[in-house]
Amino acid sequence: MSIIQQHTAASLSDAWRTIDIDALQEDSSVNFDVSTLHPPLPEVSEAEVRQINAQVRQLLRGGDAEGALRGSLEMPVYNGSDLAKEAHLQTVIEVLQSIKASDMTPMLQRIYGTPGGSECLDVLMKYLFKGMASTTSSGGSAPRTPTRMTPQQTGFSQVGSRPGGSSESTGAAMSVLLSWHEKVVEVGGLGSIGRVMTDWRKV
Amino acid sequence: MASPEVHHLFHNPIADHSFSADRKTLAVARDTTVELYAKVGSAFKLKDELKGHDKTVTSVDIAPNSGRIVSCSQDRNALVWEPSPTGYKPTLVLLRINRAATFVRWSPSETKFAVGSGDRLIAICYFEEENDWWVSKHLKKPIRSTITTVAWHPNSVLLAAGSTDAHARVFSSFIKGVDARPEPGVWGERLPFGTVCGEYLNNSAGWVHSVAFSPSGDALAYAAHDSSITVVYPNGPDQPPKAIVSINTQLLPFMSLIWNGEAEIIAAGYDCEAFRFKGGVDGWQLSGTLEAKGRPGLGDSREESALNMFRQMDLRGKAKDDTQLKTVHQNTITTLRPYESSGASVKKFSSTGVDGRVVIWNT
Repeated sequence: MSIIQQHTAASLSDAWRTIDIDALQEDSSVNFDVSTLHPPLPEVSEAEVRQINAQVRQLLRGGDAEGALRGSLEMPVYNGSDLAKEAHLQTVIEVLQSIKASDMTPMLQRIYGTPGGSECLDVLMKYLFKGMASTTSSGGSAPRTPTRMTPQQTGFSQVGSRPGGSSESTGAAMSVLLSWHEKVVEVGGLGSIGRVMTDWRKV
Repeated sequence: MASPEVHHLFHNPIADHSFSADRKTLAVARDTTVELYAKVGSAFKLKDELKGHDKTVTSVDIAPNSGRIVSCSQDRNALVWEPSPTGYKPTLVLLRINRAATFVRWSPSETKFAVGSGDRLIAICYFEEENDWWVSKHLKKPIRSTITTVAWHPNSVLLAAGSTDAHARVFSSFIKGVDARPEPGVWGERLPFGTVCGEYLNNSAGWVHSVAFSPSGDALAYAAHDSSITVVYPNGPDQPPKAIVSINTQLLPFMSLIWNGEAEIIAAGYDCEAFRFKGGVDGWQLSGTLEAKGRPGLGDSREESALNMFRQMDLRGKAKDDTQLKTVHQNTITTLRPYESSGASVKKFSSTGVDGRVVIWNT
């Protein structure tokens, strides 16, 4: 068989299309650490998170819900252990649940009007999405890591088997998150959703 | 404010557009061709089609003085179209890239052009007299992802580029024998080819869609996918910038932006309308839309007869036709370009987008 024939035989099959050419190129994106593109974020330890959370709860008990909300949003846990992140999420959700529906919009508008307020709303949006993604009920006292379900073949049959999916507290927590989501979009606009999706700093 | 001039060319997306210096010819990137429209009366009529690419044309630019057209495409090639009495003659440019070419712009001196690509590099192309062809030099480091956009500094040496690695960068593209040595400025003093004069990342770090130097060249603005606009004021070489002002908006992301003088930026994108930003070193603000609200005609609900209303109810189950946006553009705006300028300020600018419309706006 001549070289030319071999070559045509090889290129006639579509196998070459599946070659991952990025892996062969040394400076391609699969061959370097994407996190090097961004400046490193300060790491927050669990102890620090607990301290912030205690302060936030104190403000909440003192009746300063806005201060508590701001406090919890100004110190998001971007770089920390899963436990620390989860603990902070629980605190944020606790604060959100303690605020009356009628107070939401004015409070968000006040926060948005202050310097750095837009950033605060973006952080709140991140926690809202994280809260909706984690299927644990927020009422539980012990912070649980979000239950990762093993992907099922059917893909659609997960609703029934969702852990705690039918429990009342989850439903209540979800409705709180959804009403906050609506209010944040009203004040922060669609831009805040876009920023949550593009941002590399994940809560 | 006079109402904008709207030309609906076709029902296809316009990837990029460019007007000739006399504003009588309009080049539009449509699918795999570049279409040339000539102004006849108040309308644009198709005059010529430049066929040379075999994949989607991503960008097109007409050099104002020489009238040369450069186009680039996903087929990894760039073509320079030389005007001649018998039509445009294409010349292939050796880009040496193995990913799509995404964006092309002539330098203000018109001796070079820059091609951004998905190959994580920018090809700076210039004409080599002795070999009688266009050659390219690559700007590679430290680009880590696709280049989405480039913009030239007025001195034709500095080049700003935006990338999907969320960085906006300023490079030197100085080529010996082609460029005059640039005067030292805020971006640097000695500028050999490939110098990185600045590298910027905003907080939430979205993909950069558009970059632009201010008319003086002393400030850089970029728009990113986090619905933000960031303006950088550099402070001389090897020093941190004087100010980096970032405005997060409530709107959808901007795809393109242009400067109007040193204190105004016009940006447009997924909201299908153009917005005005005002400010300076101390801060920038969104000051409003350029869309005239309550404009008669387009978008406004017309006075309907009762018969028509009931007919609509019968046909579609609703009385009002709500398939039209209230904006002039009916889809995302992808390119803004200055149309008529006096000095540093832009009097009119043009916009094109996914809806196949070319709109000329008064600022």
